[in-house]
Amino acid sequence: MPINREYIIKRALSLVFVVLGVVVVTFIITRVIPARPELLWTGPHATIEQIERARRELHLDKPIHVQLWHYFVDLFSGNWGVSWRTKMPVLPSILSSLPATIELVVSAFILATAVGIPLGISAAIRRGSGVDSVVRIFSVVGASTPVFWLALLLQLAFCNWLGLLPAAKRVDEYIAISTGFKPLTGFYTIDSVVQGNIPVLIDVLRRMFLPAVVLSLYPMCLSARMTRALTLEVLSELHVRSSIAWGIPRSRVLYKYVLRNVIAPVVASLGLSFGYTIVGAFMVEIIFVWPGIGYYTAMSLLSYDYPAIIGSVIFVAIIYSVINTAIDILHATIDPRVEL
Amino acid sequence: MGLNEIASVLKLIKSNPLSMLGIIIVATFIVIGVASPYIAPYPSDAWGYSYNLETRLLPPSPRYPFGTDEMGRDLFSRVLLGARFSLIIAVGVVSIALVIGVVVGLTAGYMGGFAGMVLMRLTDMFLAFPPLLLAIAFAATLGRGLFNVIIALALSWWPWYARLVYIQVNSVKNLPFIDAARIIGLSPVKIMFKHVLPNSITPVVIQAALDMGSAVLEAAGLSFLGIGVPPPTPEWGLLVSQGWALINSAWWLSFFPGIAIVVTVVGFNLLADTFQEVMDPRLRSTMVMRGM
Repeated sequence: MPINREYIIKRALSLVFVVLGVVVVTFIITRVIPARPELLWTGPHATIEQIERARRELHLDKPIHVQLWHYFVDLFSGNWGVSWRTKMPVLPSILSSLPATIELVVSAFILATAVGIPLGISAAIRRGSGVDSVVRIFSVVGASTPVFWLALLLQLAFCNWLGLLPAAKRVDEYIAISTGFKPLTGFYTIDSVVQGNIPVLIDVLRRMFLPAVVLSLYPMCLSARMTRALTLEVLSELHVRSSIAWGIPRSRVLYKYVLRNVIAPVVASLGLSFGYTIVGAFMVEIIFVWPGIGYYTAMSLLSYDYPAIIGSVIFVAIIYSVINTAIDILHATIDPRVEL
Repeated sequence: MGLNEIASVLKLIKSNPLSMLGIIIVATFIVIGVASPYIAPYPSDAWGYSYNLETRLLPPSPRYPFGTDEMGRDLFSRVLLGARFSLIIAVGVVSIALVIGVVVGLTAGYMGGFAGMVLMRLTDMFLAFPPLLLAIAFAATLGRGLFNVIIALALSWWPWYARLVYIQVNSVKNLPFIDAARIIGLSPVKIMFKHVLPNSITPVVIQAALDMGSAVLEAAGLSFLGIGVPPPTPEWGLLVSQGWALINSAWWLSFFPGIAIVVTVVGFNLLADTFQEVMDPRLRSTMVMRGM
């Protein structure tokens, strides 16, 4: 597989500019649009001294370009402000809640592709059949459902009414302590597998199941739709039709021609749906009390904790740009047809 | 998109029951949105200014089809009125975003040069955010309120339209009739708005109209996160969020407003699907093959 070094360098450079652009936009939103940014920054219960201090700390007494410069310096030296709610610096709090969110979002995307791509292919090869209609309706309804509403209903049904699954948190503290579970990496599935701790692994998976299913719904519908459209397109190509006519088994045709041509663009499109999923995680995490970035951001929003809100927004936007750059590079590496 | 395409969309809608369903849902949503203050069975409950402790938390019944809330208000009336707020938000967001997007995209596309490049770079900077995330930042900065929600969502959406317009304008601006207009000495502003814009706007406007479903969905998300419309407005996302606290004893409080969101958004998305099939040439060719 040829790796195009020039393309990777070009994309990495443009990522730097995208991240700078993201920072500039947040500067405009937080410092240029509000009439008195220091009031937002310090909150409704601040004293006059605190407001004056914030004014100096945010360099609001200086001209705007100097403010922008200090804004950059503060961000890149890790000085993201202090949350009113937790009284803790924003950036370390976000970083410490990162593993929980990564674990959840990655599981959601694995689920989405593992279900979405086969659904799309089976709809396409039986075009116009009942299966096709069911998949099409599912993909429209799924993409139209508010994640927070679905999360509330599933939690009510499976946890409170049926009592099949635990309703909240990542792991039962009693099980974790009694089996001597140590969260080393912060990824509880990996930690429990490495430590051979089966009771914790089962508990972690049971707790992760519902939030991951809810979050996977949107990317699942998207990948099912895209897979269906792309499969139809590939199946109508002459070389595929003639290989079917030659009597090459359908499963082989599907694997050799269809799957290979479909997977790269579908994965590429998932990068964009990551933006939707991560904001969905804000709502899903607060409903399932899942202590990740989403929980942190949603709690900050509900208590109007401005430094924490803006910190989370900047952090998530940067992650989003990095992921999309990585996916572009990956896509170009797998699929040589991508324009460089 | 010319008359032919519109005719084929109409044909497709007639032949496809799902598209027909989409039309019916969207039309119903608009009618309820406009008429809800007059058709709601308990208008004062709908606006949220009344309370009646005798009818607190009643489950759905013929008298109260969606049940009642913790203030004894009829949820059905509140959900009906919610359609009006969703409609206002959706129309507001889409039209403001469209105006900004058209001005930016048209100027950048027609003028080109340095100014055009700066405008499109600015657009790209906004596009680097997930749209709802950007809306959260704006909403948190502007504060709660119906108008602020509309502004926050519009400010996070315009870049998509700016880019669409920009692409359209670039495909139109070098056509002979624009050259002719330039030669007879029309001012650039006049050419832009009288000749370039009318010939490039249709797909953008259709896209924007179909995006109203997403606007309903995203506004509900902002309300759920506590930075949308303030109570006692019967906005659907806010109703779901308020029902959350009582979900174990009164499931209907969150259930029915959510159903309203799903049905409305499904309606818009079904229509969007129909238009996409007509506008995407690859899928259209398969339609031709099937004799549609």
